[in-house]
Amino acid sequence: MTQDATSDSKEFELAGQLVDSELSYRIAQFYFREAELLDDGRFADWLEIFEEDLFYFAPLRTNRLRRQAALSIGREGEAAYFDETKESLAWRIRRYDSGMAWAEDPPSRTRHLISNVTAHWVSKTELSVRCAFLVYRNRLQTETDIYAGGRTDTIRLREDGSFGVARRELLFDANVLQAKNLSTFF
Amino acid sequence: MSTADNCSSQPEANASIGRMDRPAELTRNIDVSNLVDSEGGLIDRSIYTDHTIYGQEQRRVFARSWLFLAHTSQFKKPGDFFTTFMGEDPIIVTMDKTKKIRAYLNSCRHRGVRLCRADAGATKMFTCTYHGWSFDLAGALKSVPNEQAYPEDFDRNKWSLIEVPNVQIYKGLIFGNWDHAAEPLEETLGDMRYYMDAMLDRDPEGTEVMGGVMKWELEGNWKLAAEQFATDWYHVNMSHASALMVLSPTGRGPKPEIVATPGRQFVSENGHGAGFPTHPKSRFDAKPVHEYYDYEMLRERLGDAAVEGPMTTGHATVFPNFSYLPVNGSIRVWHPKGPDKIEVWAWVLVDKSMPDDVKDAQRLYNLRTFGPSGIFEADDGENWSEIQAISRGFVTNQVPLNFQMGIGSEKEDGTYPGKTSELYSDAAGRSFYKHWSKLMNTPAWHEKKEEA
Repeated sequence: MTQDATSDSKEFELAGQLVDSELSYRIAQFYFREAELLDDGRFADWLEIFEEDLFYFAPLRTNRLRRQAALSIGREGEAAYFDETKESLAWRIRRYDSGMAWAEDPPSRTRHLISNVTAHWVSKTELSVRCAFLVYRNRLQTETDIYAGGRTDTIRLREDGSFGVARRELLFDANVLQAKNLSTFF
Repeated sequence: MSTADNCSSQPEANASIGRMDRPAELTRNIDVSNLVDSEGGLIDRSIYTDHTIYGQEQRRVFARSWLFLAHTSQFKKPGDFFTTFMGEDPIIVTMDKTKKIRAYLNSCRHRGVRLCRADAGATKMFTCTYHGWSFDLAGALKSVPNEQAYPEDFDRNKWSLIEVPNVQIYKGLIFGNWDHAAEPLEETLGDMRYYMDAMLDRDPEGTEVMGGVMKWELEGNWKLAAEQFATDWYHVNMSHASALMVLSPTGRGPKPEIVATPGRQFVSENGHGAGFPTHPKSRFDAKPVHEYYDYEMLRERLGDAAVEGPMTTGHATVFPNFSYLPVNGSIRVWHPKGPDKIEVWAWVLVDKSMPDDVKDAQRLYNLRTFGPSGIFEADDGENWSEIQAISRGFVTNQVPLNFQMGIGSEKEDGTYPGKTSELYSDAAGRSFYKHWSKLMNTPAWHEKKEEA
C-alpha cells in the first residue's frame, strides 16, 4: 500500500474513494475464489476468509408503505435470516460433516455468481465492498431455487497482504423467501 | 388475561357473505370418513393432494376454527396494523381508536382489490388504490369518490369492510374465527392452555415478539407440518441427527438415556397436541436462557410438572395450523397455499422481563435452530417436500400412511391435565385427523341447512 504511514492521526486521505484497478482486480478474484469454494462444498476452507470477530447478518425485508420505507429492512437485534459469528458458522458447517444432514444429502448443486463489485477505502486497513449475488441451486431431480441479493462487506487488509472479511451484510431481494431453506452460504 | 369477546353483534356488512346465492355446484363436499381411520391409525394420502378436499377444508376447517393472527406486542398504538391470512383469506389486523384489536378481510368492498399491500405499519385509513374507496380503523367506509353518481339508496354503512366477527386473545396470542357463534377460544383450547402456559406464562409480564416475521415457502400440505408439531417426537432422533450432534456437549450426539427419554404427549379432542420429554437432562435450551430462569419461582408459578415437562423441550400445535416450540421461542403459522404448498410464518418470542442479553441469546438460538436457515428446520422441510413430491403417483397416493404408534395408550395419568399418551406416540396425530375429519363432514355456519 502506498499511503503515508505518518498520517494515522489525520484523516485518511483516500477514505471514501474507489480503490485502484489493481486492488479492484484482486478483490474480484478473491470473491470468485470464494464462490468456487462454496460451489465445491469446501465450507471449512471458505470459513477462513473471515476474521475472528466476524458479524454475518442477513436481515428480513418487509413490504412497507412508502412513507414508512425506512422500516423495510430489519435491524440488528431482530428476527433475521442469518445473524452469525465465525463460531456459529463453524457450528453450521460441522453439521454438514456429520453425514446426517438430510436437507443436503444428496448435496445440492449450486452456482454462486458475483458481480457489480465496487470497493471503497474506509481507512488504511479497511475497505467497504459492495457486490450483487445470484445463487442458483438445483436439488434432487428438478428442484430449483434462485437467491438474488446484494452484499456489503467490510474487508480488512491483513498484514500478509491477504483479505479478511470482518463484516458481511446480505440483503436478499425477497419478502417471502422463495425456497424451502437456506442450506447454502452467501 | 381475559379475552376480548366481540361476538355480540355480527356487523351488518358481514350479512353480505354468500348473499348472491351461489349455485351448489361451486361447493362440492366429499364425505371423508373413509379417508381417516383414527381408530386403526391409517390416513389416506389423498387428503394431502386432492383439490376438492382442499377447497372443502377452506370452507369447513379454516372458516370455522380459531386461527392465529398475530401477537399483541405487534400493536402499540391505534392504527398499527399487520396483514396476514386466515386460510387463504387475506386479513388486516389493526388496533382501533378504542385500542381494541380488530380484523378485517383485506379486500376492498368495491371491486375486491387487496386493500392494504404493506406487511405491517401504521395508518389512519385504509384507502384502495383502484378507485379510492377509503375505510377507517373501525372498518367503516368513510369516503367514496364521485359518490353522487350512485343510486339514491346507496348506503355506505352497508359497504363496510367484512369484519372477522370473533377476535379473542389468549396470553398475548391473538386468534380470529369467522364463526360469530364459535365456542370461546379458551374453551376450545381447554387443557391445551396448561401446556401453552409453559411458554406464555413463565413471566408475569408476559411475552413479546422480536422484530418481524420470517416467511418462506415449501412444497408440502399444511397438515404434514401441523400434525408433526402436534404429535411427532419420534422423528427427532433420525431427522435431526446432525443438529443433535452439533448441539450435544460431546459433539457426538445425545446419550442413549436422552434418546430413550420418557415423556408425555397431550392429546386433545379438539385436535391440539403437545409433546415433551420429562428427563431432567433432556433439554436443548440456550445456556444463557437456562441460567436466567429462577426455577424455584417457576415451580411455584406453573407447578412442578410443567417445569419438568412442557418447559424442557417440546413441540405443539393448536388446531389447525398454529404451532410452537417453547424452548426455541418459535411461534409459527402454516399458511395453506394450495394442497401442495405451505407458506411458513415464524416469529421470535421472548419473555418481556428478560434482560436484553438473555433476549438476544433466545433470539439467536431461535434463528439458528428453527427458521429458514435453522439447522433443525431444514431437515423437516426436506422430509415434508419429499412426501408431497411423489404423492401424485396413482399407486403411491392410494397406499395409506401409518399412524399406529401408541394405539390405546391415551389415559389420564394423574400428573398432566387431560388425556396424555407416551412421548413417542401418534396419539395426538390420530386425534388431529379425527377432529379434522369431523369438521370436514359437518356443515359450517355459512352453509344452508339443506346442504348437510
